[in-house]
Amino acid sequence: MNTSRAVGNRRLQVDSVSKTFGSVAALVDVTIDVESGQTLALLGPSGCGKTTLLRVIAGLEEADRGRVLVGDRDLSHVRPELRRVGMVFQGGALFPHMTVGANVGYGLSQRPDRDERVAEALRLMDLVGFESRYPDTLSGGQAQRVALARALAPEPDVLLLDEPFSSLDAELRIRVRSEVAEILDSLNITTVFVTHDQEDAFVVGDSVAVMRRGRILQTGTPSALYQRPESAWVASFVGEANIVAGLAEGKLVKTLVGPVEIDRPADGPVEVVLRPEHLVLEGGGDGRVTAVEFYGHDTAYTVVMGDDRLSARRISAPVFSVGDSVGLRYAGPPTAAFNEGV
Amino acid sequence: MGSRVSNRSPIGGTLVKWLAGIIGLIFLFPIGYLIWGTVTLGDEFWSTVGARTTLGPLWNSLRLAILTTLACTSIGTGLAFLVARTDLPGRSVWRILLPLPLAVPSFVGATALLAAVGPGALVSFLPRIDGYWGAFFVLTFLSYPYVYLPVLTRLASTSPALEEASQLLGGGRRRTFAKVILPQIRGSVIAGALLVFLYVLSDFGAVALLRYNAITRAIFSSRLFDRSTALTLGLLLGLLALLVAASQRLITPGRISITDMNVSQVRYRLGRYRRVALAGTVLPFLIGLAMPVGVFVFWVFRGQPTASLGYGGWGDDLGFLGAPLLNSAAAAVVAAIAAVCIVLPVGYVGARARGWLPAAVTSAVSSVFALPGLVVALALVFWAIQAPGVLAQLYQTFPLLILAYVLHFGAQSMQSSQAAIADLPSVLDEAARTLGASRGRRFLTVDLPLIRPGLVAGGGLVLLSTLKELPATLLLAPIGFQTLATKIWGAAEDGFYAEVGITSLVLIALSAALTWMIVLRRQPAELPKRSG
Repeated sequence: MNTSRAVGNRRLQVDSVSKTFGSVAALVDVTIDVESGQTLALLGPSGCGKTTLLRVIAGLEEADRGRVLVGDRDLSHVRPELRRVGMVFQGGALFPHMTVGANVGYGLSQRPDRDERVAEALRLMDLVGFESRYPDTLSGGQAQRVALARALAPEPDVLLLDEPFSSLDAELRIRVRSEVAEILDSLNITTVFVTHDQEDAFVVGDSVAVMRRGRILQTGTPSALYQRPESAWVASFVGEANIVAGLAEGKLVKTLVGPVEIDRPADGPVEVVLRPEHLVLEGGGDGRVTAVEFYGHDTAYTVVMGDDRLSARRISAPVFSVGDSVGLRYAGPPTAAFNEGV
Repeated sequence: MGSRVSNRSPIGGTLVKWLAGIIGLIFLFPIGYLIWGTVTLGDEFWSTVGARTTLGPLWNSLRLAILTTLACTSIGTGLAFLVARTDLPGRSVWRILLPLPLAVPSFVGATALLAAVGPGALVSFLPRIDGYWGAFFVLTFLSYPYVYLPVLTRLASTSPALEEASQLLGGGRRRTFAKVILPQIRGSVIAGALLVFLYVLSDFGAVALLRYNAITRAIFSSRLFDRSTALTLGLLLGLLALLVAASQRLITPGRISITDMNVSQVRYRLGRYRRVALAGTVLPFLIGLAMPVGVFVFWVFRGQPTASLGYGGWGDDLGFLGAPLLNSAAAAVVAAIAAVCIVLPVGYVGARARGWLPAAVTSAVSSVFALPGLVVALALVFWAIQAPGVLAQLYQTFPLLILAYVLHFGAQSMQSSQAAIADLPSVLDEAARTLGASRGRRFLTVDLPLIRPGLVAGGGLVLLSTLKELPATLLLAPIGFQTLATKIWGAAEDGFYAEVGITSLVLIALSAALTWMIVLRRQPAELPKRSG
């Protein structure tokens, strides 16, 4: 089905969308722009409005204000059944009374080539031989692939995925995630997917939009988000981060771990982002190790210095133990700093 | 609200709401018509209310209902406790057998009593048992399952930890029962008792055949020549029934609601009381089901001279049963299907809509179920007789009979379909929407297949109730349209016991099979045993 796809403009634009439920503002002036064929991950804690945004794009909720466009079609007032927007729901939402084949073929009822398309979608998802099985006989991963096959079979302009991996256990999650990322890549379909898991977002998304309290805080590629967070909140939500206070003078900040180079010049009191993997431990300083967690390929240390509790990760077996006196030193690239209180 | 509901409801939110509203109004018709009818009586209404011919039957019904309810409550609760919580011998069999008297309609039970005892009956040297005590006897042994079933269900889900705690704290069995078990099952006991009360108030068959002048019998005998008495009594009975039903809502069962499903319950050893307990368990079943069946079997074999076309004894042609059987089946099946379809929009609104509408329409439908069948039929009869133009021709036609069944029993189907619709995950509808399915297609391919078991179960309840219904059928059936129920009624009045016997056996068998399939198979299964 990827080969027969007519390559048109399938850019998805959400333009200044707002939505309130009663007195709760679920979406506040949200704008996103996904280029044709790209995948955007909406990352945020539960209740941040990401699922509402997805439902607005699908047409299952109507926005109070703003527009939803695919290519040059304004979908804002189009009913969901006419939008050509496919959706994979949390948990799959397979029709329990239909076979896998009937589920996948549901969106193709009018098409003369229904059977071939179903077969093709099943082949693509590695589900050959499952046509006559019922959903309750499938494993979590299989059900998720059927749900994806069902959403993709009618060749939607845009694909939406709502926490597609949240119902899977840790091991399966990693496998299904890679498979899905691969399939989305090969299909070249405009995709928005919602997750609260930073790893999911980074692995599957070409770009990531971080949401909090109904607003999009920052959008960028995974590496840009990780290396250049625009706020302390984004820094700690996207990966692990130590946020420490310091005094800036140009491109250097004085902190409790010594001077740290920052990526933009600043002056006065700031907060600096120190990723744990950029902190180096040295014996005999004014910090004290309070916890050591050995993960195999690396070791996480918790170090208390004065009132601060810092986390450091080294790629080695534990060198220090609880109670040791250590010093910390920053050994990373120029990092992000914010004026305090932001 | 409009857009949100239409988002969730597959068959058009606004349309369904309008439909449900109209259906709700139709269900308000019987009581509405009675109120209107009595209001137009003017002063005559007040003089009728105060008359002895009104207050007498009313009091007769009340005292019968009170005594029967007390008896059923003791018997039903006791049996439920014996089966659920003791080492009663054969309790897994009793569990299934004890509710079966529900399959015997009251007029059949009364007929059995008439055919059993009295001059010309099986035991002819004893006097007839009829009137107050006869009705009490018949109704008690047919209605105790209304208490037995809810209490049994509740006893299977109480928390054993509480009882064990009470025992460990030194509370004896009696104290544990009074202070720990009883408070937990009180809600179910009261709910069952109110059902019995309502059932006895509404009963027509038993009191009429046993010649006890309860309010239903008074309505039936006065309907043709004394319209104002019939209307007034009908309204009083209807309001009384609604009051009882409403009070049931106030007393919500399970106020103390520590529930623990699928746990093994504490079982109490009966010890030297085993035999007494067993006798106490066998007796209600014998009287409620075995006795009627036995009496009918006796008459079927013994035979009895009858009118030319009836059944005179073993070996006689059973062809006379064909028409009533077919009519009963046709009426029941048509009523069941009609009820399921008509009430479906109310089920949708009840399960999904917000605001005042769902409560209003579901109460309207439920209220007619609480009304006695005789009262529903009376309203339709009086309306049809006076209806303008072509509508008057509806009187004693099949459609009006079906309408009466649908109005009276629609609530049974509504509860069942509403529960099925509420269980339907709305995400499936949304999934179908994003796959491009229209409203109609979503309803037919997603909702309908998934709620079908609920619809069938609801339809089955209507089927069963229609099969056993007597007073509405007597009042509204087309001339010459005999059902099993009216056949039994007619033959019992004439004392043709052999004919009553064979017809009743057929009705009991049908009804027992349906009761088992629809109601009892859904009871919680026997739980693992454990002594305590």
